[in-house]
Amino acid sequence: MSLRRDLRGGSRIARAEFRRSVRQYTGDWRRLLGLVVAVVFVGGGLLVTVPAVYVLGRTTRSVSSIPGFAPVATVLPALLVVFAAFRTVERIGGADGEALLLTTVHPRAVVVGLVGSEVARLAAWFGVPLAATVAAFALGVGSPTFPITAAAVAVPMLCCAAVWGYALGLGLLRVLRRLPRLRRLVKWVGIVGVLVAVVGSQAAGRLVAERAVAFAAVLDAVTFAPVAEYVALAFVGTPLSRPVSLGALAVLAGVVCLTPVGLAVATRQASAVWFTDAAADPASAAKRATTGGFDVPRPFAAAAAGRVAWGHLLRAARHPQELSHLLLVVFFAGPLGSAFVGSSGEALGILIAGTGVGLATYLAGAAFGLNPLGDDRPQLPLVLLVGVDARTIVRGRVLAGVAVGLPVAVLLPAVGAGIGAPPGVAAAFAAVGGLLCVTASTFAVGVGAAYPVYEERKFWGSETVVPSTLVMLTYLAVVGGGTAIALLLTWYGLAGLTLSPGLGVGLAAYLLLTIGVPYGCYRYAVRRYRRYTVG
Amino acid sequence: MAPTTGDPAVEATDLRKAYGAAVALDGVSLSIPAGTVYGFLGPNGAGKTTTMRLLTGLSRPDSGRVRVCGVDVADRRALASHVGYLPETPPLYEEFSAREQLEYVADLRDLPRDVAAERIDRYLGAFDLAADADRRISGYSKGMKRKTAFVQAVLHDPDVLFLDEPTAGLDPRAARRMRESMVEFADGGATVFLSTHILPVVEAVADTVGVLFDGRVVAEGSTDSVRSRAEGEGGSLEDAFLAVTGGREGAPPADGGESGSEDPAARR
Repeated sequence: MSLRRDLRGGSRIARAEFRRSVRQYTGDWRRLLGLVVAVVFVGGGLLVTVPAVYVLGRTTRSVSSIPGFAPVATVLPALLVVFAAFRTVERIGGADGEALLLTTVHPRAVVVGLVGSEVARLAAWFGVPLAATVAAFALGVGSPTFPITAAAVAVPMLCCAAVWGYALGLGLLRVLRRLPRLRRLVKWVGIVGVLVAVVGSQAAGRLVAERAVAFAAVLDAVTFAPVAEYVALAFVGTPLSRPVSLGALAVLAGVVCLTPVGLAVATRQASAVWFTDAAADPASAAKRATTGGFDVPRPFAAAAAGRVAWGHLLRAARHPQELSHLLLVVFFAGPLGSAFVGSSGEALGILIAGTGVGLATYLAGAAFGLNPLGDDRPQLPLVLLVGVDARTIVRGRVLAGVAVGLPVAVLLPAVGAGIGAPPGVAAAFAAVGGLLCVTASTFAVGVGAAYPVYEERKFWGSETVVPSTLVMLTYLAVVGGGTAIALLLTWYGLAGLTLSPGLGVGLAAYLLLTIGVPYGCYRYAVRRYRRYTVG
Repeated sequence: MAPTTGDPAVEATDLRKAYGAAVALDGVSLSIPAGTVYGFLGPNGAGKTTTMRLLTGLSRPDSGRVRVCGVDVADRRALASHVGYLPETPPLYEEFSAREQLEYVADLRDLPRDVAAERIDRYLGAFDLAADADRRISGYSKGMKRKTAFVQAVLHDPDVLFLDEPTAGLDPRAARRMRESMVEFADGGATVFLSTHILPVVEAVADTVGVLFDGRVVAEGSTDSVRSRAEGEGGSLEDAFLAVTGGREGAPPADGGESGSEDPAARR
């Protein structure tokens, strides 16, 4: 009776949460634009995938001949559990309107609702491509029952993975709550982990190709026959069908039995998370204190803009989550990873020096410049009425960005010189990098002011206002391209390249754009601040 | 199910709660009869929100026990039908309209459709929300959101209604309507546990007043008896409040504990 009631309540919560998600998406044109891009991207991929899967279905004679079937089928349930745990930690570990739900229904209903809504959201995202792929395979194999049998195998596995993943995720949340220091450490480990994964993925393909035999041995080692046989039940009724094994049936029975157990464990975990309080964090905001007032060090103290810049730097140091958007650059580290691995000596030194300049120009603008109005929004009634000129406000942001980028522009070329880059090249790179930090930071405030984002959103585990992704990508493209050109020109200049008339015109145009566009951006940002109205 | 005759509607025994080294509640006991409007007062950081969370079962005490209508608050399934809770931040979904929100809550509480529809229409009308009932809550003013949240807290006709600053941000007309609703609920046999800083509201509606200071109930009784604690200083509830809480907001407690900080539960 109570189970039926909780399932009914859970389905209502899931429906409501799904509807809220749909409305959040359809109520924001930027998200809709992102959706269109995703549809085009996935649709383009399907144009290749669907025919390939169809051909695979036509040519496959047995399940065992499907490349990597057994190891993938073995790992799949574990991956689903890990993915569910990740989504729990990241998104569905708690409910919006928690006080309402928890005083209205039993926690088990809330668990069912949150897990159900997440499954519905994922189905909305991936359902169509998956269905198209399954349908193509069914057509290729010539078995219209394949989608049904595939669903009959997938649904119990998904339900089991979802509830156990939820329980695992909540268990992690409990641990992180009890150990707040560990939580901070895990964030940093996560960032480094993603960096390693992105860079490592570049070398993985080569490694697999070079050591195909060893890789096959790894695949064999992870294969667990009963699980693979259970997944192979999806092919029952198709020409690929093989006799149903006892192991497969045992896994099916296990999956079915473990699902309610997982739900019970998840409910206990949820009650423990939702009805207990986090351990006191020794570094909690309530206990932090600062003595000495707002002391601005030199050289920032010399001018009003410098003092504004110091304010930005101080706040960023005390609340680094506000800079979490900078981590986007991690995803561009992949190509550099393989270049670093394949270089040594002078080439490595130059690579480090050049990368340092690129990183410096990125940081100079992206740290404080890409969403100035959005970042300042809560304080704008103060900022706009305090009597400080808009130029000072904008220059403060530019200076703060330069203060972040400049040390990187100097230090990494110095490291490059230490490794083997010619000192002249490193010094020239550092000098060019320093100048580019100023132009990049000035360019950023204009681009950022053109498209402010005011709403907080969750980004890498932090609820904060982050710049628009479109603005970030535009900035990365323009500044990344401009920095690359500047470094190449510097490199060729040091190598004694003769300046032909054509190159001279190009260089002049580049310099004009590099100085003129940021200046225009600066003027625009100042104007936006001057004309800004809260509303 | 209303509390059985003689059972207090809310009974808390020796509640203690600490957040690390900060003691939020230190031996709080309450016994509130059914049909009472209980005004719960205290300066910022006194532990009012923590108390509300413990009384609604949303948080667990380090020690002590809470029963609402004879039900242990740890028994969530039995508790849900007895209590309505309006927290300081209204738990509303901005993507819904007020009508959708209320229908959703009625659905979760398994209210029959016709009963739910009648109550929703009645409350929307009573709180001047009928004309905006189909607008998304994201477009509502603070007062409209609070009124909607109040309606969702009372929709199932609870035995005990916990209200955290229910009149904050309301215009005078809406605030009066809210006060009248509290009295109507109490007259109907329900218990209203009202936590607020707005002392005139407490003076207007409360039968009993409790003052929490530094995690302890330092004064409790009828409004008149608490008011009498400040006879020498003017005799208003405000004077009494200032007298029993040390005369100023966040005044240092006698035992040197933390004061003046926000209630830890309010920060959650």
